[in-house]
Amino acid sequence: MHSVEISTPRLFPKITFTASPGPSTRQYLAKTPTATTGVAHQAAELAAASPSRTQNVLPPQTSPNRTNQLPSTPIKDRLQSKSPKKDQPPASRPQSPTRIPRNLPSHLGTCLSLQKRAMLLELQNCIIECDEDSSLGPTNTAASQQLKDLLAGTVTRGEGNSCFVLGPRGSGKTAIVDRAIASLNQTPIVIRLSGYTELNDRLALREIARQLSIQTGKTYFGELNNDNDQEDDDNPFLDAGPSIDIPPPSHLPALVSTLTTLSRSVVVVLDAVDLFALHARQALLYCLLDTAQSCRVGQGHNGIAVIGVTTRIDTINLLEKRVKSRFSGRMLRTAAPTELSFWMKLIERVLRARIETPEEEWEPLWTLTIDNFIADGKVLKQIRETVAVTHDIRVLRRILVGVIAALAPSSPFPTCAQLVSAIHAQRIRDPFPHLSTLPYPSICLLIAAAHAHTAGHDAITFEMLYDAFREQYRASAAAPIQIAGGSIGVSRCTREVLMREFERLIGEKIFICVAPSSTSIAPGFARYRSALTWDDVKRAVDKMGKTSLKKWLTKAQ
Amino acid sequence: MALDESSSPPRLSEQFSGYEKFISHITSVTSSFVLPFLYITDRHNPRITASLLNQIYRNGGDCSRARFAHINATACFTARLLYDTVLNALAGWEVAWENGCQNWPGEDGKRYNDSIDSFLHGLRNLRNKFREGKAKGNGSTVDEEPTMVLLVERAERLKDNLPDLIVPLTRLAELSQVKITTILLSSARWEDIKPPLGASPDPYFIDIDPSSKQDTVDSLLFEFRSTSTKQADAGTQDKTYHPSLLPLYEQYVEHVYNVCSLYTTNIQELQYIAAARWPGFVKPVLQEQNDANGDGDPDPDAIRNELTLPASDGRMRLLKFFTPSLTAALDVLYPRLTNATDWALANDPDMQAQDEAQCQTNTEGSIIVDHLPRMSKFILLAAFLASTNPAKSDVRMFGRGADKQKRRRRKFASPKKVGAQATVAKVPQRLLGPVVFPLDRLLAILGALLEENDVENRPHESCFELPGEQTDMELGRVHIYAAISELTSMRALHRTTAVEKLEGPPMYKCGISFRVAGAIAKGLQVPLNDLMWDPL
Repeated sequence: MHSVEISTPRLFPKITFTASPGPSTRQYLAKTPTATTGVAHQAAELAAASPSRTQNVLPPQTSPNRTNQLPSTPIKDRLQSKSPKKDQPPASRPQSPTRIPRNLPSHLGTCLSLQKRAMLLELQNCIIECDEDSSLGPTNTAASQQLKDLLAGTVTRGEGNSCFVLGPRGSGKTAIVDRAIASLNQTPIVIRLSGYTELNDRLALREIARQLSIQTGKTYFGELNNDNDQEDDDNPFLDAGPSIDIPPPSHLPALVSTLTTLSRSVVVVLDAVDLFALHARQALLYCLLDTAQSCRVGQGHNGIAVIGVTTRIDTINLLEKRVKSRFSGRMLRTAAPTELSFWMKLIERVLRARIETPEEEWEPLWTLTIDNFIADGKVLKQIRETVAVTHDIRVLRRILVGVIAALAPSSPFPTCAQLVSAIHAQRIRDPFPHLSTLPYPSICLLIAAAHAHTAGHDAITFEMLYDAFREQYRASAAAPIQIAGGSIGVSRCTREVLMREFERLIGEKIFICVAPSSTSIAPGFARYRSALTWDDVKRAVDKMGKTSLKKWLTKAQ
Repeated sequence: MALDESSSPPRLSEQFSGYEKFISHITSVTSSFVLPFLYITDRHNPRITASLLNQIYRNGGDCSRARFAHINATACFTARLLYDTVLNALAGWEVAWENGCQNWPGEDGKRYNDSIDSFLHGLRNLRNKFREGKAKGNGSTVDEEPTMVLLVERAERLKDNLPDLIVPLTRLAELSQVKITTILLSSARWEDIKPPLGASPDPYFIDIDPSSKQDTVDSLLFEFRSTSTKQADAGTQDKTYHPSLLPLYEQYVEHVYNVCSLYTTNIQELQYIAAARWPGFVKPVLQEQNDANGDGDPDPDAIRNELTLPASDGRMRLLKFFTPSLTAALDVLYPRLTNATDWALANDPDMQAQDEAQCQTNTEGSIIVDHLPRMSKFILLAAFLASTNPAKSDVRMFGRGADKQKRRRRKFASPKKVGAQATVAKVPQRLLGPVVFPLDRLLAILGALLEENDVENRPHESCFELPGEQTDMELGRVHIYAAISELTSMRALHRTTAVEKLEGPPMYKCGISFRVAGAIAKGLQVPLNDLMWDPL
């Protein structure tokens, strides 16, 4: 019974006891003894007074049944069917996952690290697998199917197609495109361009040529440039020079129109397509869409598909009229599923990743802890909150990584507290968590800035803050107060130390420059504003607990 | 794998005490490629964190299988530098004289540093190379993709230097289709660097907590130990870092921490201060040893010998004696007004008494005005007044009409009291910085100053009959203009209008601080405070 006390307290036993009124308690315990918490321990002792002594020996063994109390848990039946087996002689105790140890036995350390690795791997693949279950919600399934059909038309029948894939961040746009391309029965030539790297059409053009030559083994318009280079090669210093052979824009239509004459069909994926619309005259989009539109089946050409991927919902309005008229207007929407059950299933799958391990006791132990974790009402609440705020799968992934990475031999099993701290670290971030650990001079500057703000001066200079500090120091030095032999007045800081701290705060972007700095303005007179409010400073000062600072902050000036 | 995890951190955690949690966190996060982008915020000791990460990925067991590049955004201030540095580091390519000082040539001799596209091609090329290398090495693991890690230190500089590169760097894995993890390490927040419109995905955040006192002391002790082993290996006669001094050093470091932690808890700053004071601190101890041993025999084994440390009351006296000098060291060394070596020399305990007064350094970096001629000092004073006082107050402050009475009254109806009624109190101009004034105003104030304070010192000339006539003549001298130009060139005055501009009077701004102006006024015996609109 000693083992009973060290296990972590949980919610459910309480629920069970409140659910079952006094008289039935004994009976209940006899059926599914739940004795893992301190409360339950006492209850068990109470029950020990009752005649059914033999059943009281059992509780630690059958504690997995605690999950039975939760409504509609699928594991219920499995566990119940298991539990009779465990009512076996006490010799089988060590193997059964009767309790969750707070510290991991040393021989299970390998298991834990293997488990962590397996979970991270699962997390890495989770998006892809989700969709193969086609549980990713109707929107994405439909979009995926449409895109596959579209690409199949291009590859097998040589059509020219164009479409946009629209959807919020983390809703699986790129994954859908990648999967659709991978599912084709012939490999097309894939050209991937991103609006983030191709800042103008000439760079994009060069990149197209480069990707084409890698995938087909031929060079495009390279010959032209090389010929020119050969003539210039007389100068031995030129070849080392930083000349970038960017093709002239006049090559654009020529190159793009060759796309349909290649041996295989071509898929052009434009990531962040809204940024391509900002290029001059939208020449690249125009050429690509024009080629796609004019690609006729059965003229000996191969097909071309232009897929634009973007989060911007009004991308089509950015297109010029001549470009828009060449675009097919197909827009496939993606959206992450909104149901909580989907996300819970996802989390469960990650946490229940299987590992191969020689230690037999690991798997039941792990299953038990995950059961507890998933069934915890607080965990559910946190996840519901997260899902209500964002449907970005990457946010969830980051939170899960935070939980998994925090597992260590000293705290081997996921808990609600870890989840909360991971959510705080990843989703709801405290903008300035470190204020109370700032050194004394910085806090002085912040207090002075807060006072200046209260006095109506939004822009502050170092000289103002230093003057305020000096004033305060003088006042405190004039009336020295000592408590228990130690001074509680304002400590001395030299101007230079304060200046250094001021620069540090600028570096941390707590003081933000409001006027452009110039060489003719002395550093003490450059204007800044504080990013902190009075409340932020107040909280930090309270946490530091220095009386002189508190007094200074609350002092009306 | 588990063995790796348990064997490598102890060595690291000895050097970086207090980082155990972070080490296990970062190794488990990056051991398999899950997250393409991490952001580490360390506001306390970013350089130590950088060196820790460097060690983890270079020789930290599990993670060192990944290819690793560690760049500093301060050093990589152009895109080409960044591309070259990253590719060289990932490929393990050393730029050397023998190979023509060229960058990593790749396979085809193409350049990978001309644009981000080429850089991405370079990464892919590297990936293929590693994969082939692996396949040759052991044929079994052909499928396994090589992982790479890119650590960017001082990432906040990217925003100023390479704003276009932030988005591609944060999306590096996605754009290059290579398993590369980007780690940005910075003392600023991600929100301050983040490009607009959500162009970058949000990173996986890791925050580093400040290190505790014990951890700080431990890491300082580690440095002492490594220094003493290094010195023992080198075989120096210097006993300053003798291993047997370690207990004394521990006490000393704790004392340093207690004195300085109010002002800074940065480990490297503390280390700097501790290192500056330590030779002076142990000097009495070592001297006593030498005296006790007798200075006759320079025994080669003497270094190996144990040193006897002072008793506890001796230590207390030592610590107490050096406490003021620790505060002084902080005041000077923390803002880097001088360097540790010079400071240690100047504050040597033996000579401290005699030349303490001489170690006055030019702390403010201010302009030195002692050598200036008298007229230039007057010009500077006039410039300071013109920059600090509002232009409308000039007649009251310098006018000779109603004189003292009126001036004083006006002056004491000072803006502070006005501010009490108005909504916003005015900040004295002296704190807001100098304002711009035209040359004419400078000359007018200069005239008033000279008339009030300089006339008596001049030899009287009979040709000037009207009061102020001589001063007027002085003001018209070309020498005044030459002095103004000279002061401008030494940045005691700032000319704000362009030199080639013809219309209007040239505008100036005062370049000296209040403190310097006060010193000048004292030298000239001008009552500066009476002449300021906002007296101190």
